[in-house]
Amino acid sequence: MASGGRRQAAPGSGVRSPSLPAALGKYWAIFRTQLVNSLAYPIDLLGRSLLIVLFMWIFMNLWRVTYGASGAHSIAGLTLADTMWYLMMAEAVMLSKRDLSEEMTEQVKDGSVAYLLNKPFNFILYHFAAGLGHSVLAFGGNLVIGAAVVWLMVGPPPGIAGWLFAGAAVILAWLLDFCFSALIGLSAFVVEETAAFRWIYQKFLLLLGGVLIPLDFFPAWLQTFSLNLPFAWIIYGPARLFVEPSLARLGQVLLQQGIWLALIGGTVWILYRRAAARLAINGG
Amino acid sequence: MVRHVAFVLALWKTNLLSAMEYRVSFLTQMAGMMLNNAIYFVFWIIFFARFEEVNGWDLVDMLFLFGVVATGFGVGTYLFGNAVRLSFLIASGQMDYYLSLPRPVLLHALASRSNASSAGDCAYGLLSFGAAVFFAGAFDILMLLRFGLGCLAAVTVLISFLVLVQSLTFWIGNTNLLTSNAFNAIVTFSLYPITLFDGTAKLLLFTLIPAAFIGALPAEFVRRFDLAQLAQICAGSAVFLFLATFVFYRGLRRYESGSAFQVRT
Repeated sequence: MASGGRRQAAPGSGVRSPSLPAALGKYWAIFRTQLVNSLAYPIDLLGRSLLIVLFMWIFMNLWRVTYGASGAHSIAGLTLADTMWYLMMAEAVMLSKRDLSEEMTEQVKDGSVAYLLNKPFNFILYHFAAGLGHSVLAFGGNLVIGAAVVWLMVGPPPGIAGWLFAGAAVILAWLLDFCFSALIGLSAFVVEETAAFRWIYQKFLLLLGGVLIPLDFFPAWLQTFSLNLPFAWIIYGPARLFVEPSLARLGQVLLQQGIWLALIGGTVWILYRRAAARLAINGG
Repeated sequence: MVRHVAFVLALWKTNLLSAMEYRVSFLTQMAGMMLNNAIYFVFWIIFFARFEEVNGWDLVDMLFLFGVVATGFGVGTYLFGNAVRLSFLIASGQMDYYLSLPRPVLLHALASRSNASSAGDCAYGLLSFGAAVFFAGAFDILMLLRFGLGCLAAVTVLISFLVLVQSLTFWIGNTNLLTSNAFNAIVTFSLYPITLFDGTAKLLLFTLIPAAFIGALPAEFVRRFDLAQLAQICAGSAVFLFLATFVFYRGLRRYESGSAFQVRT
């Protein structure tokens, strides 16, 4: 990316928009291609899922000792088994989400964004479809292996409602996470080096999102603070819904996710339009 | 020996000058990493505010632990930046460059790159150590020496472990996944109190994933002197350094040149 040179118009300008089914078909094809691509390397997929075993083992040691020391059957309404199943779902979401910001940053830095912008698809939706293709399989792998390990450690998982409700919330959680990734990736148009934003976002998810510890264990003021931020609805929302499924909680999680999606997604869309319109590419 | 030291110092100086050409990026990454570590540590503040201690470890112990691990990790990956991408250099035939020069191949390859963010780890580690000393309410010059020694051991074991794992690339080809999992495992385990783990797990943490040599053992040694721990730290560092060097040079005999043009600027 450099200043000067010929300007490229925002993609799609002056081009007739395709019908909705045709547009969806394009992104479905991108999603499917990524899915097939991930399936082509099953060992790789399995190997990446093994990381959840490591985390669950550490969490089990930490929380078994902590529950033992406190002498309580449950802490903040969660038993040891609830906590472990919560952490399993939180880690499964965390480990399967695809961080696209790094890829987008590289594309902006090395100029290859130019080749994607003039393709007949939207740059942002292209990345989302590709990322989703990766996340679905990774999530499945993490869930199967993570659930097997936690089952052996603390007994059977929550009922079917937990799986269904959490599944619905996880899809919106990925969308919300993708919006943050896109925001960080798009910032490369301004600052070029985005690694620091990425690390900090990851740590917000770990802490305020509730990957390392359920938000229920926080002091009341910090719990309220965290629940008023979007990070909680990427991790805590689906994971808590998993161990304590109810229609009321499902409604609350989906509502919060919807509000944050509208806010963050809208910001991404505006920034993308501006960045694409202002992009200057040298050479041909 | 003096020649090698002078050579490595020259490499580090070049890396620093190179980083200073992009001062804003360097400082941004450094500050970002410090903030990143600080946010992570908030977990332990919240945890110990609620549970006070876990198997004898409290918040001050965690400050010592983060002090040693972050400093050791920061110094190691700053001075030997290629330690995290050695498998890529081997698999892509980029060792050709180091083999063609009359310098120790492993040392040259490892020290040829610095990571800006590692400087942030190092700075955070020093701050964490400072906070640990402040809250522990005990400090003397011997503690500072123990901290230096503990960090040196952490650097040695971390870099040796990374070299050891990635040297497997010479035999099995692609080790990206193995490297990534090994890296995550050693960093994650080194940041938890060792008292959480029982006998078998502890054995693993001293051998297969030597996180104990990077975190808990040096951190406990920094807090209070113990001759047995000093002996363990020295022996562990020496063994892993020897193993890494031995396995790397054995593997190097199997290295196949990439025969690709390489441009270094």
